[in-house]
Amino acid sequence: MDYILNFEDLDKNSLPAVGGKNASLGEMIKAGTRVPPGFAVTTDSYLSFITQTGIKDTILNVLSNLDKDEVDSLNRTSESIQDLVLHATMPDEIQKAIAEGYARLCETCGVTDVQVAVRSSATAEDLPTASFAGQQDTYLCQSGAERIISSVRRCWASLFTPRAIDYRNKNNFPHEKVYISVGVQKMVNSRAAGVMFTLNPTNGDPSKVVIEGSWGLGETVVSGSVNPDKFVVDKVILETSEKTISAKHIKCVYDPAGEGTMDVDVEPEMQSRCCLEDREIKELVRIAKNIETHYGRPMDIEWAIDEDFSFPENIFIVQARPETVWSQRQKGPMIGTKSGYQLLMDQAMKRIKLQ
Amino acid sequence: MADDIGGRFPDPHEYQVPPELEGWEEMYPSHYLFSKERETWEKQQFWYLDKIHAPEPMPPLDLIFQEAWQISLSQYTTRVFCIPPAQGIAQRMVGCYMYICAIAPPPDEVIAEKAEQFGKRVFYVFDHYDELWDKWLIKFKAIGKEMEAVEVPTELPKFVPEDQVIPAPTGCYVSYDILEAFDKVANQMIKAWQYHFEMLNLTYLAYLMFGDVSRKLFPGISESAIGKMVAGAYVSMFRPEEELCRLSRLAVSSRGVADILKSDMTVDQKKAELEKIPDGKHWLEEFEKASDPWFYVSCGSGWFHHEGSWLTQLDIPYSYIKSYVERLENGETIERSLDKLDKERDETVASYRELIKTDEDRKAFDEAYKTIRTIYRYAEDHLFWVEHWLHTIWFAKIRKFGKLLVNNGMINEVDDIFMFTRYEIPELLTELSTGWALGVDIPLRSDYYKAKVSKRRKILEAAGNWNPTPALGVPPAEVAEPFTIMLWGVTTDKVKEWLKGVGEVGGEGVSEIKGFASSAGVAEGPARVLRVLKDLVNLQPGEVLVCPTTNPSWAPVFTKIKGAVTDIGGLTSHAAIVCREYGIPSVTGTGVATSTIKTGDLVRVDGDTGVVTIVERAK
Repeated sequence: MDYILNFEDLDKNSLPAVGGKNASLGEMIKAGTRVPPGFAVTTDSYLSFITQTGIKDTILNVLSNLDKDEVDSLNRTSESIQDLVLHATMPDEIQKAIAEGYARLCETCGVTDVQVAVRSSATAEDLPTASFAGQQDTYLCQSGAERIISSVRRCWASLFTPRAIDYRNKNNFPHEKVYISVGVQKMVNSRAAGVMFTLNPTNGDPSKVVIEGSWGLGETVVSGSVNPDKFVVDKVILETSEKTISAKHIKCVYDPAGEGTMDVDVEPEMQSRCCLEDREIKELVRIAKNIETHYGRPMDIEWAIDEDFSFPENIFIVQARPETVWSQRQKGPMIGTKSGYQLLMDQAMKRIKLQ
Repeated sequence: MADDIGGRFPDPHEYQVPPELEGWEEMYPSHYLFSKERETWEKQQFWYLDKIHAPEPMPPLDLIFQEAWQISLSQYTTRVFCIPPAQGIAQRMVGCYMYICAIAPPPDEVIAEKAEQFGKRVFYVFDHYDELWDKWLIKFKAIGKEMEAVEVPTELPKFVPEDQVIPAPTGCYVSYDILEAFDKVANQMIKAWQYHFEMLNLTYLAYLMFGDVSRKLFPGISESAIGKMVAGAYVSMFRPEEELCRLSRLAVSSRGVADILKSDMTVDQKKAELEKIPDGKHWLEEFEKASDPWFYVSCGSGWFHHEGSWLTQLDIPYSYIKSYVERLENGETIERSLDKLDKERDETVASYRELIKTDEDRKAFDEAYKTIRTIYRYAEDHLFWVEHWLHTIWFAKIRKFGKLLVNNGMINEVDDIFMFTRYEIPELLTELSTGWALGVDIPLRSDYYKAKVSKRRKILEAAGNWNPTPALGVPPAEVAEPFTIMLWGVTTDKVKEWLKGVGEVGGEGVSEIKGFASSAGVAEGPARVLRVLKDLVNLQPGEVLVCPTTNPSWAPVFTKIKGAVTDIGGLTSHAAIVCREYGIPSVTGTGVATSTIKTGDLVRVDGDTGVVTIVERAK
């Protein structure tokens, strides 16, 4: 039994062991994509923990007594289970495995006590497609083996937030079949970050990669709190057909005091400066195309440029997931079966409206 | 539309030209003028300045090409291949500039009839394109050979030669021959221009169709990507440059030839030196062989007599050869790799094809692509044979008539003949014949003709300093004519841009101009404005070329420059194609680059957005 697994050893088949998010990081590495290094604490670790400590039965018991329609009952149940998870003694071999994994990660990065993000990644047995989006906890800027171990434990506990319990009840997911894995990953010291799509989300054009980015961490772009710089690049002839540089007033940075992030003002002279170099744009497009080819479908990708490395090692992909809007909308053909002559006739009959 | 932006362009019947142009109407056939009889119709149409074919004031004889295409282009659309909703393109002259108009669609019942004809006739052409092209080339070359064979005496003999009298009088003599000769070449030119459009309307239609299919599948695909997929590498238009490369290689591998070609001697001196050595003689023979047809290349678009050709300006091919020889000796490659270009194009097509999601669409894309590829090379092939090869023959022939008139004192300079229309020249020739026939010491009205020449030259000069309105009349609600859409790019944006230009003086105040983003990338450098090819000796490596338009005779320039900006030309123009191949940013079809940018201005060419920025004016 593996308590931890390095990202490089994961792929899409590892989903039951490490959850969707971690498996997809492994899959991206397989696709030749650079992701921040790290490891996954497996669902087996979690299962061993709840079994060996004997809290498993208690948890299921408490859950079975839950009055599903009662908010107070939900809150009480959540609190008592989370309390169990947070205070049960974690088996030594699991603690040892995590500490060793962390030590190896520090070595890989060449940094003592490297800062990591600790993220939960839930998964349901037999239900690989179940979405638990937005229900998992993330702890940023964690360092030191002990802190990491306690963050892993907090991630496990997050499986029993009132919202998570309620979601499973409402969707008829049996609680005993939902597990959790945790990802431990080097924090990107990002100079700029953002998202990109392997099609143009405004018109569904599959020949474009659209990149949006801003200074600092990607949160400002994802949340829409900043108008990002935008680049539309053709996948084939690699021409940039659109380049919009916005005034980026704020950026998201790690809070030096705590574990979270905070928004700070961007220096005036940097606000209207393009957040990406041309070569970085080119490299992002190359990566986007690779990821799309690997998954065989349009993708929605989060990226970051790490200040600690130099080009092209500074470009990291933080997350990749299937694009859903256009992929679902465009099922049928756009033109359909037509001969060259029919197409020519259609064209000949056409009138271009001027307005 | 009419309420929105219409009416703000001047009324063609009220538009005034500057007083210095007084008398311009005499320089063109009267049906080229806006007229009372056609006023109602003319006022309903939308007339725009044809900067592609007539970017400058039109010398009277050079109008012959325009006259020919008004008929030819239009009839293929309306009467031959019958593009259903489209009608022809009408032309008018206003103060030495040509305005054109795509006529509104015909009534519905005519459209239906045309659709039936279109189905029968057009598909046949696509099915038989290759054999039709072979036939086209044979008949076109024949016309050029016929024109070359027309004899034009430059002197009138004192008495007709004896062999024209004994054993039997021929009946007609030089006085008739010169009249017939001019009619012949003029008719041959008109006829050649009928052939010019034989498959061009369909080529443009197919191009528009392929563009449309591509945009349905890839809504944001750029015109340059479409151009890249369609353009061919093995086309006649590129042969002149290939021949120069071949001759340069021959020079390097021959004994003593390269040194002579690299020297600073004049072309005549070089030829004399080459004649003295065996390898040089051989090289000159090879040059001669390549010349016909491949150096029958205009130094401009081929539309104006004053542009000259490689044949009349031998220093141009010789200067290219000189720089090629030097580059070969430096171990550089000078040829474009046509195989590589072909391969790149195929890869581009395959990559887009792979992005298509359904099999049905992929099949439609294949069909569309096959259709355009069948015919597209016509766009590049016909250009060499008509505008370059045949026009070069024409200009040489017309100059013979010019020489004849100069020798008889009727005009001062050979090129003065271009100041008369094709209808007036027979009058000059007839007066000359008459004088000759009447006997000796018969006065000719030389002063009358010379005064006309000088007046017309002054008018043309004044017209050159005038900025005519980009359009006249009422913009239409829709356009269906393929050339109007593809060649002139008439769109809502274009009409709006023209509107901005109404009354605008341009020049110094402008810091940004827009055109087609025809070759990707951004470059910044000092501008070199070249109005005519012979100025290109001034071009320095690393400069941004700014010129009216380019053509095959400019090709060797592209290895020197950082970027290119043209007044005229779309995404499949010569400059666009060559810049894409060399990976140089270009913005084409700006309309105003040569009048707005000055040599020495620091300019930024953004081939991704089609914007040219004047970063800093030259001091």
